[in-house]
Amino acid sequence: MLRYISNRLIGLIIVLIGVTVLTFIFSNISTVDPAEAFARRNILNPTPMQIEELREEMGLNLPVYRQYFHWMGESMKGNLGISLLTKNPVSADIAKKMPATLSIVGMAFFWIVVITLPISILSAVKQNGVFDHVARVITIFGISMPNFWLGFIMLIAFAVVVPIFNVVDYGNFKSIILPSLTLAIPVISSSIRLFRATILLNMNKDFVTYAKARGISKTNIIWKHILKNSLPPMITLMCQNLGYMIAGSAIVESVFSWPGIGSHLVEAIVGRDLPTINGCVLVIAVIFVLSNLFADVVNIMLNPKILNEQGEF
Amino acid sequence: MSNLLEIRELNITLVENQRPIVKNVSFNVGKGRILGIIGESGSGKTLTSKAIMRLLNEKIFTVKGQVEFRGNNLLQMSEREIEGVMGKDISMIMQNPMTAFDPMMKIGKQIIETVKAHLPLSKKQAYDMGVQQLKKMNLNRVSEIMNSYPHTLSGGMLQRIMIAIALLLEPRIIIADEATTALDVSTQSIILDEFKKIQDKGISLIVVTHDFGVIAKVANDVIVMKDGEIIEDGTVHEIFYNPKTEYTKELLKARLLADEVSYA
Ligand SMILES: Nc1ncnc2c1ncn2[C@@H]1O[C@H](COP(=O)(O)OP(=O)(O)OP(=O)(O)O)[C@@H](O)[C@H]1O
Ligand SMILES: [Mg+2]
Repeated sequence: MLRYISNRLIGLIIVLIGVTVLTFIFSNISTVDPAEAFARRNILNPTPMQIEELREEMGLNLPVYRQYFHWMGESMKGNLGISLLTKNPVSADIAKKMPATLSIVGMAFFWIVVITLPISILSAVKQNGVFDHVARVITIFGISMPNFWLGFIMLIAFAVVVPIFNVVDYGNFKSIILPSLTLAIPVISSSIRLFRATILLNMNKDFVTYAKARGISKTNIIWKHILKNSLPPMITLMCQNLGYMIAGSAIVESVFSWPGIGSHLVEAIVGRDLPTINGCVLVIAVIFVLSNLFADVVNIMLNPKILNEQGEF
Repeated sequence: MSNLLEIRELNITLVENQRPIVKNVSFNVGKGRILGIIGESGSGKTLTSKAIMRLLNEKIFTVKGQVEFRGNNLLQMSEREIEGVMGKDISMIMQNPMTAFDPMMKIGKQIIETVKAHLPLSKKQAYDMGVQQLKKMNLNRVSEIMNSYPHTLSGGMLQRIMIAIALLLEPRIIIADEATTALDVSTQSIILDEFKKIQDKGISLIVVTHDFGVIAKVANDVIVMKDGEIIEDGTVHEIFYNPKTEYTKELLKARLLADEVSYA
């Protein structure tokens, strides 16, 4: 188990390096010059001289790889630099924005669990029944609808036409509901497809036939055998979704003017705030990668057989 | 000789295109007798035995006919009633021991759940019953086995555990579908000996196989199936020394050839 985790951790570090290197490269090939953008925001009519000075001060005159190693070394020490926009330490900004994002992601996760489980179980048990067909149509909609579109529809429907919620709102429980649902619905839709398919697959397994032949009741076969065996892929998916939702919260946060890390990152990209961009990407990547690792560990604890098959490299 | 199980005019068709797969199958299983069902691959042996135990998916197969067991037609029973019979009065030994057990549940728990499905016993009592039955199967370190997940045990061990579970609730009849096919020769003969011992307890058996060697070792009566029909039946002696159809003669010849090959 320990060996498995340490093997995985090495892989994860490689992923993190890859992601941050890519961010650096993309920031550099962008046509907007961050030094100039910064200068124009802070100095009225900056001279080319002033821009050059700033560039040196920010270390942007160095080759990209030296910038990267410098940044890498500093971030290992926990120093992600100073935001060009807010002038606060990047880490402090991220820490301030994180709770807002975590609150909608956490709420979305709650929706996912309470909606996915009963619907997929019912769909699978009554396969090809009316409920199954209705669920299929709705989930296909949910999967194919882009997040921002879904968000706007929700806003128009429940904040304008039927004004249950406010268009711009933050800081109370009610305000979380629409953005978290928007974040959750595509995930719920694809999870229902997967969970239903997994349950159906397990229903035809030998061990179900044998359980029937031993006279185990239908309810017990469903709950204790079929569902339990369908959970591991589901748990992996859920934990992966956690990372995916934190990474993907930017669009939903923009639509709902939600002051989380997603909209923070969007603002930073628009304002060419390189330290903030790099810092946010790093933090999001770490969360993403750790939630995947967590998914695997949980999976192993649920099913000792996986370790036998995959643990020995 | 009185019959324990009487199958009358069993017909199985595919729901989607009404294609008949098992046609007008009728046979009896006598009390304390071992019936062998033999036939080539695809002849309908598995479907017949699963139909008897009501294990076929109703969405795929239509089953018609009668399966009389102790005065009841099993095919007419409610789901509840049939759950009470399966595993208690009629039990099954599956073909592939490696996939028959739930991979995520310890053996002990699967045994306990079987006992508790039929008897109002405590967990502890059910556990003790399981331990005793496993010991009777000449298995060592029984408490370790009870605490193991299926994938950590060998096929031969799992097969014996399955036989133990089949015997656990003192059934009237056990259906074994290719129960020895997946096993090596020595484990196979141990299992066949177990079948004989089961018979000595007065329990009937249906042994499904495509191997006349198995029939020769354990069966009293035989039915020969081909393309979903019974083409010949009789006692083992009759079938071996006086086969009526070419098909049975071919099967017997194939067996002799296989023997020659294995002795060569
Ligand atoms: N799910 C299914 N859908 C359609 N046809 C099926 C299905 N299952 C079995 N059959 C058909 O039913 C026939 C009998 O199958 P069955 O499994 O009973 O054969 P068998 O005698 O047990 O063969 P084997 O010795 O290979 O186990 C086969 O010809 C097969 O094609
Ligand atoms: Mg078969």
